[in-house]
Amino acid sequence: MKSVLLSGLSVLALAGTAAAADLGDTGTPIRLAINEWTGQHLTTHVAGQILEQAGYTVEYVTAGYYNMYPAIGEGEIHAALEVWDSNVPDLYYDVLDDGGVVELGDLGLTAREGFAYPAHVEEICPGLPAWEALNDCAMQFATAETIPQGRLIDYPADWGTPGAERAAGLELPFRAVPAGSEGALIAELRASTERGTPLLMVFWQPHWAVSAYDVRFVDLPPGTPECYEDASVGPNPNATSDCDFLPTRVFKITWSGFADQWPAAAEILTAYQMMTEDQQPMMGMVDNDGMSVEEVAAAYIADHADAVAAMIAAATE
Amino acid sequence: MSDVSLPAPSVMDRLTPGTKAALLTLLVGALCLALESATEFLPVWPEAWTLPVTEWIGVSLEWLFDIIRPAMRLISAALEYPMVWVNWLLVNTPWPLIIGATVALGWYAGGLSLALMSGVGLGFVLASGYWVEGMNTLALVFVSVPLALTLGLLIGIWSNESARARPWIEATLDLMQTVPTFAYLTPLLLLFGFGPVVGLIASAIYAAPPMARNTLLGLQRVEAEVKEAGVMSGATRLQQLVQVEIPAAATQIMIGVNQALMAALSMVIIAAVIGGFDDIGWEVLLTMRQANFGQSLLAGLVIVVFAIIIDRISARMATSRERFDVRISWVILAVAIATSVLAWAALPAPGDMAVLAPTVEAVDGALTSFTRSAGATLDSIKNNAMFYGLLPLRIGLDGAVLPFTWGFSWTANMSYALFAVAGALGIAVAMTGRMAFGMCLPIIAIIVETGVSDLPWPFVLVGLGAVAWVAGGWKLTRLVVILMLLIAISGLWPRAMLSLYLCGAAVIACAVLGGLLGLLSAVSNPAWAVIRPVCDMLQTIPLFVFLIPVLMFFQIGEFSAFLAIIAYAIVPMIRYTRHGLVTTPPEMLESAVSSGATEWQIMREVRAPYAAPTILLGLNQTILYAFAMLVIAALIGTTGLGQSIYIALGAGDVGLGISAGAAMAILALIADRIVQGFAEERRRALGL
Repeated sequence: MKSVLLSGLSVLALAGTAAAADLGDTGTPIRLAINEWTGQHLTTHVAGQILEQAGYTVEYVTAGYYNMYPAIGEGEIHAALEVWDSNVPDLYYDVLDDGGVVELGDLGLTAREGFAYPAHVEEICPGLPAWEALNDCAMQFATAETIPQGRLIDYPADWGTPGAERAAGLELPFRAVPAGSEGALIAELRASTERGTPLLMVFWQPHWAVSAYDVRFVDLPPGTPECYEDASVGPNPNATSDCDFLPTRVFKITWSGFADQWPAAAEILTAYQMMTEDQQPMMGMVDNDGMSVEEVAAAYIADHADAVAAMIAAATE
Repeated sequence: MSDVSLPAPSVMDRLTPGTKAALLTLLVGALCLALESATEFLPVWPEAWTLPVTEWIGVSLEWLFDIIRPAMRLISAALEYPMVWVNWLLVNTPWPLIIGATVALGWYAGGLSLALMSGVGLGFVLASGYWVEGMNTLALVFVSVPLALTLGLLIGIWSNESARARPWIEATLDLMQTVPTFAYLTPLLLLFGFGPVVGLIASAIYAAPPMARNTLLGLQRVEAEVKEAGVMSGATRLQQLVQVEIPAAATQIMIGVNQALMAALSMVIIAAVIGGFDDIGWEVLLTMRQANFGQSLLAGLVIVVFAIIIDRISARMATSRERFDVRISWVILAVAIATSVLAWAALPAPGDMAVLAPTVEAVDGALTSFTRSAGATLDSIKNNAMFYGLLPLRIGLDGAVLPFTWGFSWTANMSYALFAVAGALGIAVAMTGRMAFGMCLPIIAIIVETGVSDLPWPFVLVGLGAVAWVAGGWKLTRLVVILMLLIAISGLWPRAMLSLYLCGAAVIACAVLGGLLGLLSAVSNPAWAVIRPVCDMLQTIPLFVFLIPVLMFFQIGEFSAFLAIIAYAIVPMIRYTRHGLVTTPPEMLESAVSSGATEWQIMREVRAPYAAPTILLGLNQTILYAFAMLVIAALIGTTGLGQSIYIALGAGDVGLGISAGAAMAILALIADRIVQGFAEERRRALGL
């Protein structure tokens, strides 16, 4: 596993040349949010173990991704380390505007969202991954609810409706059906893979299911900010949203009192980075090989002992 | 709908209420259809007539929250102490001791069978590897239940003491039980702050009403002589209450305790959505997110085991005064203590158990292979149900009949033909004397042609009002119309109609299927022996668990949601139908047997009419359950009020959450009152 764990922290150790700071209140545990998905657990536990190595006590608090922001704003939870811009709720911006939370910069994950399908669908719709192929194959994807259009499974309604917007922008003969929950998306993937049935959905990576079900992304027209503002950009001259998703920002946030109470910890978390190529294999170890999150995180720290030490040193000395 | 028709001077007087109601509904429906194309405002409630009620609620609640937040935070801080203590105690007590104590209690309350059940049940929890999470869950239940019991007891006493407050209290209790918990999670979170206390309060809110209702019922049933004895001895009202009436009502109150425990357990999973607490509910959510059926079933069964143990022991203690030899309990406890002390170092940590891992994988594998092999059959089941059942009901024949589905396009002429046939049939039936039923036929034709979600709003309003009038007179009609107008004004009408359609379809299916299963259970004991444990499990397992297989079989969409709702809501229909049919008084049966009636005739002529009020009560419960499940069904992609509640939860939109929750409660309340009205009438007709 060493071979896959090359890049990560060595990069960030260079980035973390911030000013030295006091440890601050090491007696009070730093409470880190644990949300509902494995990648986030790993991101958080690796960060937590670095903080512990620096001399802090860390407490992991389970917290619903959609509901945790007021709690962070009030200092009941101190940091959330993997916030996805693509489905952050409005509640977050309310708390941010009130000055309850502070952003600590990007995490380093290169997240991708897009129209996705399990590999076997390429046999059903041979033109894939080119998006134009979807025009001709739409009937293959049709179901009782969407006939005569194809069915595109969109994100759960509370994450927004990116699939519907792009299907409209590209004038694809698909009807977007909200998934309801992440579990529903995965269940669809499972069933489609087992039965060899067609499936088109909005999905993202890094996600454990991408490798587990050999999920591939449709090549949509290149996504640019202009495409979303100017109708004339992109294949459809009359609409915006006729292109691929913009890269999603994944970032870290803390309670606004964090830097005062734990100055060095704030430096460490600011410098902290987690790369997709590091997180993805670790997710596999937890979800497929049955290792515990703590073990995998500890192994990662051990493999990057020098980088971690340098990072702590940069923050404290 | 009574068939009493006395000769009377005018035609209107001769019509039964049912006939009048159907006639009015039919007229309004026909009028709406005729004017549909000519007017703008008839088919859909006009945008201009809505008020930003949702925003007002949001703003005023936030204003209120700012005022009461400090006080609520104090309560929250105070509740955290017992919560932490109980949690610490349960997690740190050696597991042999907890199992031993439960088995000892099981023995004391119910003898060998309960002791064995407790042992096997907790052994399963231990083997599952979810022991620690399970203890966290129990900590939540053990703190929220006393809270709910105190609250419920006080509310029950208050409504017994004050006849004037009673209707208001009952309405509040209804709201506490029908507004979906998801709708008020965000407000609770803002008020009480983050953490397990929110889950605790949510489950206390949900668990208090059954306690209050049973307390009131118990106090009302205390016999007059008993009360008089207290009064004669010169007791004050408080002494009278504490020393005479409450002890006399103890059995009924204990049933309330049992119900409150079960309600609190069923809320555990929903409270987990917030997090803050590493409990079983959180585990179910995580495994559900991975669509890992085997593992989430295992975690869900832990809750079922807790529910069954708590239910059986507390129910036995509530209903039976018999107790078993307490000395044996002490022996069991002593053995448990000895094991804990002597073998502590050798005992494995409860969290490390993974005895059931192979079973879990086998279950998951079985699901996979079934999905693969039965895929085509499942698809055709789904397509048939959608094309010929659900879709026409939702968007009407005029929208659902397409060349892709039925093989041809629906035309306006077909609509006329349908109406003509329904009208002719209706007249024919009406000629035979069943006027009301005859008039219902064209009404049904209108609904099927237009589709529930596209029905003109005046038709729905008048139709519901008319049914309410038949069931409960003008007072009920006024309530129903005002409440429905409230939904319309807040702009939630279209979503409410979608919810109404999905729930309606599920309730009809439950009534037919559940009624048949109930009938089967009533006539055949072996059938009941199979059906009963299934019912128990369906009622206590977190329903999230079943969403996974349903999704894998039938994909995201309405049909899956429809099935999920049925799975939950069918249970009361089965139970009450069976109960009603088997409890027919023996003397009624004897007279029927002696008059030479066959088994089937007895069922139709004696048992069924006698059971009607009970069955209607079951239907009532089924309706409430169906609405409760609607929110959870939104997780598999429905589009009604349930989804609004999720969107509000995600966006932290207090106003939308509360008003969508209230709209759902309104629909449930209307259905409840109407069915209760009919049940009351049947009971009066039977002289009960």
